[in-house]
Amino acid sequence: MIKKVILILSLVANLVLAIFLIGLLPKAIEELHFSYVERDTILPNTIRNYLDWENYGVAASLSRPIRGGAQVFEEDADYYKLGEYAELLFLSKVFAAAQNTDTAEKCESRMTQIRSEMPSYDTVFDKIDQSCPGQQ
Amino acid sequence: MKCNSCGAEIGLTDKVCPYCGRALTETAGYRADMDYYKEDSATTKKKADKIRAKNAPLVISVVVMVILLVADIALYYVADRAFLFRTDAVRRESARQYETYAKTMQEYLDDGDYTGFMAFKEVHEIAEWEAPYEDMRLLCEIGKEYASLVSKLEEVTMFGPEASWYRPESDIQDCHRQIRYFYSTFDDSLSMIDEDPYKDYIYDMKAKADLLLEIYLGLDETGRSEFFASSDIRQEAYLEEVLIHD
Repeated sequence: MIKKVILILSLVANLVLAIFLIGLLPKAIEELHFSYVERDTILPNTIRNYLDWENYGVAASLSRPIRGGAQVFEEDADYYKLGEYAELLFLSKVFAAAQNTDTAEKCESRMTQIRSEMPSYDTVFDKIDQSCPGQQ
Repeated sequence: MKCNSCGAEIGLTDKVCPYCGRALTETAGYRADMDYYKEDSATTKKKADKIRAKNAPLVISVVVMVILLVADIALYYVADRAFLFRTDAVRRESARQYETYAKTMQEYLDDGDYTGFMAFKEVHEIAEWEAPYEDMRLLCEIGKEYASLVSKLEEVTMFGPEASWYRPESDIQDCHRQIRYFYSTFDDSLSMIDEDPYKDYIYDMKAKADLLLEIYLGLDETGRSEFFASSDIRQEAYLEEVLIHD
């Protein structure tokens, strides 16, 4: 009788463990599958919120990893580009003041490129321009 | 035992004497015992086989349970630590790609783009504390504080016309703290900077930090001296004045 109870309990435990195993398997495979340059700590919702709140400095700071080569999801690329634009605008003034003329020009050229790639965000770009102190 | 007829040595269970051929009656008792033991042994074996067969499902189930448990724990560990495995893999890849990455990082440095440099370093998990990047250790240490300083200044200065700034006081405190961190890290490292292969970039980083304070906080050289000479409360009051009221 006791053996039967133990057997039933162990079968139930096996079933639970098997379900747990099947549930874990896809997660583990997904977690281990990655490309070498990836930034999974970037949170698209966060950057979107800060852009909505017009906190362009935070968006600039959050999007910095893409300047270092991080890959982001296609659907979020525009938000990061807006952040990148804000960061380049912020830094270009420092580069210009530090006589890093080439770097300042590179920043401006990249900013122009971003603007031309995203004409539907003209209003946001204008607001970002206004947000940078001393910028008209 | 000896044969009663010829006196030769015989086995305890022999039926006939191998020497004189006489049927042995003296070993009959032994043979009967032997038959009894054989039968008893077979019965015991049968019983054992029966018990074993009865317990087999339980044993198999327990073995499967142990295997599943080990597999679950191993898989959970892998899923939970995948980030570390990934970080290690990216770090090893960065060490393998040293020549390419070092060239790219040098371009960032030559441009004076230290935030871009630090972003590249972080995304590619460059381990500046070990070969082959160990000569960048001090540069990265100060660069980290510089990048944070730029972030904090961006966060307190860049607002759109209809922006909502939810925590101005705490953001300004963070910014103030970061300004102090950067300058104290730089000052504490002064004795090492002159011997560092990247000393020119580190000094340029400091010059850019000075410019950041000048452009975005209105602190020129004199202003900076006065700012750093004043108390923490006065420094924060100055930042609040510039960032909120102005």
